[in-house]
Amino acid sequence: MRSPIPVMDCHGHIGVHPDFPAYQADVDAMVGVMDQLNIERLAVTSTLACYNDCPRGNAEIEAVLRRHPDRFFGYVTVNPNPPGQAMAELERWAAFHRPPLIKLHPGLHKYPVHGEHYKPIWDYANEHEAVVLVHTWDSDPNCGPLLFPPIAKAHPKARILLGHSGVTWRGIMQAMEAAEAAPNLFLDLASSQHHRLILEKCARRVGAERILFGSDMPFLEASMTLAHVLTARISDAEKEKILRTNFLTLVTG
Amino acid sequence: MRDAAENSGTETLLAEAADWDLFDVNARVGPSGVHGELALEKPGLLEEMDRFFIRHALVSHWAGEEYDPAVGNEALAREADERLTPAWAVLPNAELLEALAARKPKAVRITPGPTQHNFSLAKWGAGPMLEFLQDNAVLTLMVRNDIAWGEVASLLENFPRLRLVLLDTGYRADRYLFPLMDRFPNLYFDSATYLAHRQLESVVNERGAERILFGSRLPLFTPASSLGVLASARISDADRLAIAGGNLRRLLGLGASA
Repeated sequence: MRSPIPVMDCHGHIGVHPDFPAYQADVDAMVGVMDQLNIERLAVTSTLACYNDCPRGNAEIEAVLRRHPDRFFGYVTVNPNPPGQAMAELERWAAFHRPPLIKLHPGLHKYPVHGEHYKPIWDYANEHEAVVLVHTWDSDPNCGPLLFPPIAKAHPKARILLGHSGVTWRGIMQAMEAAEAAPNLFLDLASSQHHRLILEKCARRVGAERILFGSDMPFLEASMTLAHVLTARISDAEKEKILRTNFLTLVTG
Repeated sequence: MRDAAENSGTETLLAEAADWDLFDVNARVGPSGVHGELALEKPGLLEEMDRFFIRHALVSHWAGEEYDPAVGNEALAREADERLTPAWAVLPNAELLEALAARKPKAVRITPGPTQHNFSLAKWGAGPMLEFLQDNAVLTLMVRNDIAWGEVASLLENFPRLRLVLLDTGYRADRYLFPLMDRFPNLYFDSATYLAHRQLESVVNERGAERILFGSRLPLFTPASSLGVLASARISDADRLAIAGGNLRRLLGLGASA
């Protein structure tokens, strides 16, 4: 199984995970899988940063970008705590990309995405027209999709990707409702739950222009989301936008 | 890719699956009080199976899970089809067990969780039912979240000949699943939610494919997800065919499709 068009993947990681064994998670193995499935380029965030240590985690991303500049994009992952660290990290790794790619994980960092400590990060994202990938989950008090329309409206130049689009059927309904409320909110397909009919519903309601392919590699298996997109009852033109054009447009400014 | 207005669909992407004699261990039919528009009656289920080259499925009825096993089994019997093998509902209840025995079951799906049929799988709670299932080699399906991992161990210690298929184990299962599989040779699991990065491929190549069964989770999930994982796994053809349907046919005592 292989994508007929080269894929731009908006959601990946570098690292392992604490709660189950990682398989083939080293960078070379990931590139092998990307070659197999025809994923041209993968935007990665540090899993170490998501769980534990942003400065060390972002340094891991810098090393990957240096080694594989044509295969990866790098998110600067920031934690609202301790206050001040996030801004220092954004400045430190400003050379990753212009516009910057920023990853937020309010679920693991256990701080609400609309909380005070996130405010300077959102202001920075707005000022620099950043692409911000945020982990979301159905109704979560820290990162439920319905928390995002006010943030997006207050920071209209930030392009905000609702990571996993809320995951569950109800979470995706919330993500669609949020995306309808603000044009700078986008739906990321990375998920372990690929409900029947859901992609067609998202394309009808929000439009394929605001749906992005994300694999969550090497956390989740990229081929499942790829097969979901490629077998969905949407047009080939919509598939191409989802698999490639939309994210490419965002990262090139 | 074809012209912009067209949809390349499954026929090009997963066409190789047409030769795998796919047999889905994890499918349900009928209306659901919980899952609304996703639920499928038999024609819709068969159509979705056709789209993804799934020739046969082990199917339970939502009514037997969400409501009452006797009502669900009657509804399931009305959906008889040569492509659909019934996975009957059952409770630890003498009358239901007698009715089940009359159906000469090949498989059951049990739902003991506290928000479902709410019973214990201990000997004192379901002894005669579990004795019947193991003595008659009835394949027993159960969603992993319906039972704690420790209860899986107790169940298989008490009923070692019971052929148990854990459905929807999730991709975080390995640190529980592997020790249990090492200890209990009649424990199987399905692939519907076994979806971590290169998990299926790595586990098959390290531990073998004999106890992994293809599952779609129809009608809730698109079969594309688990089929995509199976199609992209760098495993032997023999292992792929075993997971796709060979293992399940062996367990059900069925031959390959004509």
